[in-house]
Amino acid sequence: MDQANKDYEGLENKRLRLWYGLLVLAIVIFILQLFNDQVIRYNHFKTAALNDQLEQYKIPATRGLIEAKEGNSIVPIVLNQKLYTLFADPPLIKNVNKTASKIASIIGGSVSNYENLMKTKNTQYVVLAYKISSSQNSKILSLKMPGIGSQGQDYREYPNGSLAAQVLGFVNTQGVGEYGLEQAMNKQLAGTPGELKAITDANGVPLAANKGNIDIPPVNGDNVVTTLNLGMQTQMEQILARDYKSTKSQELSAIIMDPYNGHVLAMANYPTYNPANYQNVTNPSIFQNAAVDYPIEPGSTMKTLTTATALNVGAITPYESFYDPAHWVIDGFNITDIKQDVGAREQNIASILALSLNTGATWMLMQMSHPGGTTITGKGITTWHDYMVNHFRLGQPTGIEQGYEASGYVPPANLNDPSINLRYANTAFGQGVSMTAIQQLSAYDSIIDGGTYYKPTLVSELIKPNGQVINNPPKVEERNVVSPKIAHEEEPLLENVVKAYLHGGFSFMNFPSNYIVGGKTGTAQVARPTGGYYKNIFNGTYIGFVGGNQPEYTIVVYNIKPAVPGYAGSYGSQPVFADLVHMLINEGYVTPKN
Amino acid sequence: MVSRHVARQLMVDSDLNLGRKHRPDYWIMVWGLILITIGVVLLYSISPALTETNHVKNNYYLYRQLIAIFLSFIGFYATYKIPLSVWRSYYKPLLIAGILATLIAYAMPVNPAYPAHRWVRLGGFSFQSVELVKFAGLVWFSGFLAKRVKEGTITNLKKTLRPMLLVLLGVGVIIVGIQSDLGSAGVIIAMMFTMAYVAGLPLKKIGIVAAIVLIGLILAVVSTPYRLQRIEAYLHPQTNCQGSGYQACQALIAVGSGGFMGLGLGNGAQAYGYLPESDNDSIFAIYAEKFGFIGSTILVLIFAAFFTRIKNVAEGVSDDFSKFLVLGVLTWLSVQALINMGAMVGLLPLKGITLPFISYGGTSMVFTTAAVGFVFQASQYTKYKPKQIIHSTVNDRSKQTNYSRLGRVNY
Repeated sequence: MDQANKDYEGLENKRLRLWYGLLVLAIVIFILQLFNDQVIRYNHFKTAALNDQLEQYKIPATRGLIEAKEGNSIVPIVLNQKLYTLFADPPLIKNVNKTASKIASIIGGSVSNYENLMKTKNTQYVVLAYKISSSQNSKILSLKMPGIGSQGQDYREYPNGSLAAQVLGFVNTQGVGEYGLEQAMNKQLAGTPGELKAITDANGVPLAANKGNIDIPPVNGDNVVTTLNLGMQTQMEQILARDYKSTKSQELSAIIMDPYNGHVLAMANYPTYNPANYQNVTNPSIFQNAAVDYPIEPGSTMKTLTTATALNVGAITPYESFYDPAHWVIDGFNITDIKQDVGAREQNIASILALSLNTGATWMLMQMSHPGGTTITGKGITTWHDYMVNHFRLGQPTGIEQGYEASGYVPPANLNDPSINLRYANTAFGQGVSMTAIQQLSAYDSIIDGGTYYKPTLVSELIKPNGQVINNPPKVEERNVVSPKIAHEEEPLLENVVKAYLHGGFSFMNFPSNYIVGGKTGTAQVARPTGGYYKNIFNGTYIGFVGGNQPEYTIVVYNIKPAVPGYAGSYGSQPVFADLVHMLINEGYVTPKN
Repeated sequence: MVSRHVARQLMVDSDLNLGRKHRPDYWIMVWGLILITIGVVLLYSISPALTETNHVKNNYYLYRQLIAIFLSFIGFYATYKIPLSVWRSYYKPLLIAGILATLIAYAMPVNPAYPAHRWVRLGGFSFQSVELVKFAGLVWFSGFLAKRVKEGTITNLKKTLRPMLLVLLGVGVIIVGIQSDLGSAGVIIAMMFTMAYVAGLPLKKIGIVAAIVLIGLILAVVSTPYRLQRIEAYLHPQTNCQGSGYQACQALIAVGSGGFMGLGLGNGAQAYGYLPESDNDSIFAIYAEKFGFIGSTILVLIFAAFFTRIKNVAEGVSDDFSKFLVLGVLTWLSVQALINMGAMVGLLPLKGITLPFISYGGTSMVFTTAAVGFVFQASQYTKYKPKQIIHSTVNDRSKQTNYSRLGRVNY
């Protein structure tokens, strides 16, 4: 090999080694960058990876059912059904148009709407449709379209439609109970969700056999067995719907209770809604269970409580008579009877209730102040206040298992108030004091059952997922509301009211003779929000009982602003009471006298 | 038939200055096999993810890859056994085949997901035309340069630079323009530059050509929105993770989350739909996720050892054609590996090219393995280079010169 060639070869290899040197340098830089990525910035990328890969799921617990009694069996009135939420992961969708039209062909809806959702920027989760059925869901999933997924969710199903809607409430899309039992019993119904923490693929499907996965199974919710009697509830709702129309009412509520344990057997309001379609409701006030969260001034039904108080403290006797001047002047104002004004004459306790004399109620308050007197004193006021608040538990929520409950209002016995006498003269016959239907009926029950105040309840028992039954025994709030004899003294007075109406031409108040029916009407002026009362707007109330040897069921009716020709109590709520009593008797719910 | 043909070629083409044949460098084969094995194991480990993500049968990709490896061994045997002089004489049909494949690829209907005319499909069989172009171009350019060196016209503008520029222009138009394959074009250009440089082309002239190529490159990038996006994604990988920077971002996440030790072969979630192209272009990131910094460094060192062996062959052969050919293979494999891995670790923008021997993909596997066959053949003709004489205090001449290894005698 000659010298020139050798030099040339030397040049070649020199350049070759230079290139090789550059290559080695590149490899060194590469390894340094690897070190930077994998060691120095490890935490940054690990966090980023887990952000993408680690999914923490709540495994929803199956919500407990809500059940009611039908005869001797227990039937569900709220069930679960699995429906699916269809969602898209926009960046993963390959063909938006094709995907959208396939989805539209299966579940309906507009293709362009789906397309727009699928083109949503900067998100990996867009809901395309809620509540698709499981067959639609499996059809869509079988197409294996990239970027399309679904999530199953339990939805409530209502086999009886709108039955007891406001008592039940509904479950929102987050699975949380709202209103009614669903809200009040949410904790027991919901159970405890399980937890799944897992590394997933890009579609969110957990990768099998990953050591770090956490899997805690959910604990399903309890079934709530209500005290509701399905037959009574159904019939009552039909009656309310009918009487709502015939009395041109704005809102009609009623409750049937067992006075001896506080169980609510039927509770309803009209108008109502279908909880399966709660999202279509435009006026959310319809969700409210007016029977427990809409307090009104009850009017003359209050006289039953005032009478019981006066009897219990010994201020009056059941057969006592007195001279009714037809008006009292209290604190410079006239107290008169807005109802059957029969003029100044001799009256008695029975006629106070039968004729619903406001002057009579005021007279009873005077007797509580000092026997034989015709003025109201602090003693009468504090006695009456004590009975209403501490015995009959007015002015505070009863604690019934409902999402919302109002407390009502009993004016404080503030003796320094210059118009306290006038105020209390009014509260004695049900004006200037407010209460919900459940408060009033529970108070009434405590007289009828012989003096025990049971906390009103809608829950009979809870059934655990394992079948264990947890009873909800009657809860006694107060044992000596009034003495047991008051029941025997007041019941005939109330039966007398019913008879008086029958004789007065209210033929619907005619009940078979082997049943006892007693009650009291109430017609209350409606307070203006700005103070004072509307002249021509009234609420009608009714409180009463039906039974055989003894009262078996107690009933309250609140009829808000009925448009009836006569008094709201007599013509608006009394017919509803009568219909309910006839229903209870005709359907054989009431044990007749033997 | 072949052997007679070969014999004739050997007689006719006597200008290969090969020297005496000796044992090939088996380390080249060993490193290559280790890399292929790593690729197969990796592909096997992500097979469940590929099955799930791409809706294919179990181990579908693995079986296809094993077939490709089998074909690669045939290719390797051919390039190893058929003398280099024969390959050189067939550069024209090779080039024509490459150009033909490119034209067929251009005529083929394209996959809407990858609207680039890169693939030739024949029934169930398909290959990437650019790999054949690289292979043919390598052989042709080695012969071209060797001829110019022999003529002494290596610095001649008309004879050397003009054809070179023409070829570069062709590469630019066809591969960058039509096939949208900037990565492969980069590999071809790097091959040509290093080969021309080592062949003795003055740096100044290489600089002029490089400037022209650079302008073309900038034009290619600026004129295509997706390349601009990739550059943007490369410069700011974290800002556009959901959009155009998605793959770059996910690759970095895969690499970075591997940490020092890696998650282990059976672990790691990035192949499950997060990181696109996890079986081919992005496979290094998956490897790095599973084996961490330690494993990644070992892989890079295996590549480095492999490249060093190839470099030694290039250095050792005295025949120019062989030297340029081996050097071309070195540049091909090393630049392609670095472009691929560099994108995964955030050093370079993303390019759609494979990691040699590791990535899934039959065409790349067959042609890179075949190229290594050239090196393996050439390794039989390296010359012995005496080591520095050790001035031993022990008066033992046998230790001062090292003639112990037969067959590496410098004649």
